[in-house]
Amino acid sequence: MELEELKDLWNESNRKLQASSRLNTLLFAQWNLRKADTSLKRLARGIGVELTVTLIGIVLLGWFAADHAREPRFFIPAALLDVYAIALAVAAARQLFELRSLDYDEPVVAIQDRLQGLRLARIRATMGTLLFAPLMWVPLLIVATRAFLGIDIYAAASPAWLTANVLFGLAVIPTAVVIARAFGPRLERSTPMRFLADEIAGRSLAAALDDLAAIRRFAEEG
Amino acid sequence: MRTNDAQTAFVECLDRHRGILIKVAGAYCRDLAGREDLIAEIVAQLWRAYGRFDERAAFSTWMYRIAVNVAISFRRAEMRKTRNVEAAEPAILEMLPSPPEPQSDAALALVREFIEELDELNRALMILYLADNSYAEIAAILGISETNVATKIGRIKQRLKRDIAAR
Repeated sequence: MELEELKDLWNESNRKLQASSRLNTLLFAQWNLRKADTSLKRLARGIGVELTVTLIGIVLLGWFAADHAREPRFFIPAALLDVYAIALAVAAARQLFELRSLDYDEPVVAIQDRLQGLRLARIRATMGTLLFAPLMWVPLLIVATRAFLGIDIYAAASPAWLTANVLFGLAVIPTAVVIARAFGPRLERSTPMRFLADEIAGRSLAAALDDLAAIRRFAEEG
Repeated sequence: MRTNDAQTAFVECLDRHRGILIKVAGAYCRDLAGREDLIAEIVAQLWRAYGRFDERAAFSTWMYRIAVNVAISFRRAEMRKTRNVEAAEPAILEMLPSPPEPQSDAALALVREFIEELDELNRALMILYLADNSYAEIAAILGISETNVATKIGRIKQRLKRDIAAR
């Protein structure tokens, strides 16, 4: 079979399909802009919520840090958390900006390249959040108990307990990576656990990088 | 605020070119439910971008560009997650029953199989080529050079010959 024969077959099949379809004009008459939702808009809304929550966190942490500026034992953990939150906010804001500037009516290769870049940014942000979260546990405990319960955790818990928690946080990161690499592929696909395992193990990142490389190869001459 | 006139004009253009929706959705989605979801997503994106459509340009080229972009993203997302089965909603494009044609079924299945084996971007190139778009139009829709389009089509022709010979 030659490509020209394939073309005839394909066009004939599509002509028949087109003849056996009709636009649901009644549905269109009822359609409004609210209904014209798209996956990009849904993603933008999700990132917008993420950004808003993070910004509220930054303000509250800044407030707490300013209140405890003369108490390094509270100020340092609050500042650490604030830096972490600012990094998350910057990542979310960049993604939101990139999403808002996306136009699907631009050439396919350019849009797919940008979408893949956006996917990479999201994967890296999620990996960063997941991998640094165990380290943030102790500063969060110090700040939250002080801010919401008025408790000085340094006095309430022994230094050994706090040190053990920091060490535990450090140990969790490589352990999580090892477990995700070893057991992730055995989990059922498309489940939240598999998603987490793929993100932590770097499989999602590798797949996204491969996809991006494929797009760039396609764009190359020859 | 979009006027009713704009919506009417959009629906008319969409109806005239609904074959593009069918071709693109058919090439990127095997099952009917998936095709309907994809068509709804493409139409939503088309409507969203319609305000920026330059009427001096060809509607079909503009429509292909958006449809292919949405279809590739849709397929990538589908490959990453299993779609949750939801209650059927009214389909924007209704498929009516048509009599089966056994003589052409085998050849057509071969065509579809060949297209489905291509990666997303080569599949887009193929749909555009099969729909009789010129190399210049394909290059403009995909954002690559005409030479690149010709080279890739040449490679696909060779692959088709190899695949057919191997069967």
